[in-house]
Amino acid sequence: MIIERPGYDSDQPPDGSKPEDLAHGCKAVFRRQEPRIHRRQGRGGPSVSRSMYLFLFLLVCTCRGSLYAQDLSGIVVHAYVSQGFLFSSNNNYLSMKSSDGSPQWTDAAVNLSDLISDNLRVGIQLHMYQLGEFGGSNVFVDWASGDYKVNDHFGFRAGKVKTVWGLFNDSQDIDAVFLWILLPQGSYPIDHKSFYLAHVGGDIYGGLPLGKRAGTLHYDAYAGQSTLDLNDGYIKQFANIGLVFTNSLGGKTYGGDLQWETPLRGLILGSSGDMQAVDGTAPTGSVHSPALLTPSMYTQFSRGKVYLSGEYDREPVNATITIGSAVIPFVVDGRSWFAMGSYRLRKNFQVGSYYSHYVNKAVDTTQTANYSKDWVMCARYDFNAYFYAKIEGHFLHGTALGYYSDTNPNGLAPNSKMLAAKIGFSF
Amino acid sequence: MRKARCLMLLLGSLGSWSAAGAQDVVLVANKGVQISEISNADLRSIFMGTRTRFSDSSHAVPVTLKGGAAHEVFLKNYVGEGPEEFRAQWRKVVFTGQGAMPKAFDSESALIEYVAATPGAVGYASRISSQDNVKLLAAIK
Repeated sequence: MIIERPGYDSDQPPDGSKPEDLAHGCKAVFRRQEPRIHRRQGRGGPSVSRSMYLFLFLLVCTCRGSLYAQDLSGIVVHAYVSQGFLFSSNNNYLSMKSSDGSPQWTDAAVNLSDLISDNLRVGIQLHMYQLGEFGGSNVFVDWASGDYKVNDHFGFRAGKVKTVWGLFNDSQDIDAVFLWILLPQGSYPIDHKSFYLAHVGGDIYGGLPLGKRAGTLHYDAYAGQSTLDLNDGYIKQFANIGLVFTNSLGGKTYGGDLQWETPLRGLILGSSGDMQAVDGTAPTGSVHSPALLTPSMYTQFSRGKVYLSGEYDREPVNATITIGSAVIPFVVDGRSWFAMGSYRLRKNFQVGSYYSHYVNKAVDTTQTANYSKDWVMCARYDFNAYFYAKIEGHFLHGTALGYYSDTNPNGLAPNSKMLAAKIGFSF
Repeated sequence: MRKARCLMLLLGSLGSWSAAGAQDVVLVANKGVQISEISNADLRSIFMGTRTRFSDSSHAVPVTLKGGAAHEVFLKNYVGEGPEEFRAQWRKVVFTGQGAMPKAFDSESALIEYVAATPGAVGYASRISSQDNVKLLAAIK
């Protein structure tokens, strides 16, 4: 991606920053300017808009009576809704006033799909979310695609398609499938998810059996265009340095994922790569980021009550930001990894923990603004097949991820504790 | 006396565990399905959504119960997952646009009726009667 991870350290020397150190450059601009976007909602209180209520109402209407998917002459409807709450000890996280406790965290989606024939399936998913100042009243098309599966070895889908990358990229917005409330933010930053989730283009995919003793190789390759939504975290960061985009920006993307389902049941090993270019022009300047490879390597073991996984990702950025006559090189070498494990103590009760690590190797890694280390403990209780509740504790060190300057006007403490809670339902 | 009661409780719990361990389901398929046996690995792949065809390349339509003992036994013995993991996996498939969840039924009779009427359908039940218009599939390791 193209701009530094959110994170501003109050003790940085902005005025004396070197041009090549964009992290400092961004902060310098940030200190002089108020962010100019995402002001449709008030700060601090819940601000779910009227259209979100309407969307939620329609969503609930679809599931009156039985909560199971409704089969309307072949059209199948599924949906999920979740409401989160965030409380942090020091800093305000994810553009919320989380140090006061914030419920500005709502997700809802509804999807419709139909199996036209044994091989052809079409569907669409509409998604609405509010995360602090992000998301808001807009209903997004999460994905909308036609999927033709020739056989188990080869299929293709086209339209707006979820991007398969790493363990969780394509599913990172589906709260109902995870124990975790927040996925490891070094790899899956929730304030930037709308950019990474999907591309407009096409995928080819399939599974290649390697024999009884060698498992199966699953592949997915894609090409298309990704677009930065104007309510995304990156746009807010651009605004903080004086680039206020009024039109979406984005660029071509292509990549793929190879996943080996090993003969040891439940164990998978995989690797993904994504090439993503970004270009955009704002009234005050522009941004250009050539496509660079963003690789991911991961493993997962899941059997019975036990779940273990780990992932290593690298995110190099070599972008140029132009603001007026100033041309600012922007270089990031983001490295992130995580290790997680969980155990199902009872049929409806699951606990787990993970450690997430992020560091920007292109700059001074001893500065708290350039790394983020997060210890997490989580528990989930399923009331039934549809309703669930989660609670999660975070012990954050470093401020490289998830913090925004305008919600932390007095600077950032290097460490923070955080409590997140969520309730949700899905059918 | 107290020791004897403890021993009886222990033996009683062992007896009920054995009975639960011995519980199993029968695999049923539409009569048009050409295969008569299916490997556990194929069954798992079909019910987890990574395969859509039987070993003879004909189209497979997995169907499940919404819950209950037979559902849990099937998932444990043939798919290797608990009901929660199975549901989470399918939710992931559905909400990422990669597939459609298997049709689920409230009762075994409704499931068997659907399997009998649907080409390629494959499911399970705790037992079937001779009137059920379905074929039995043998599971092989």
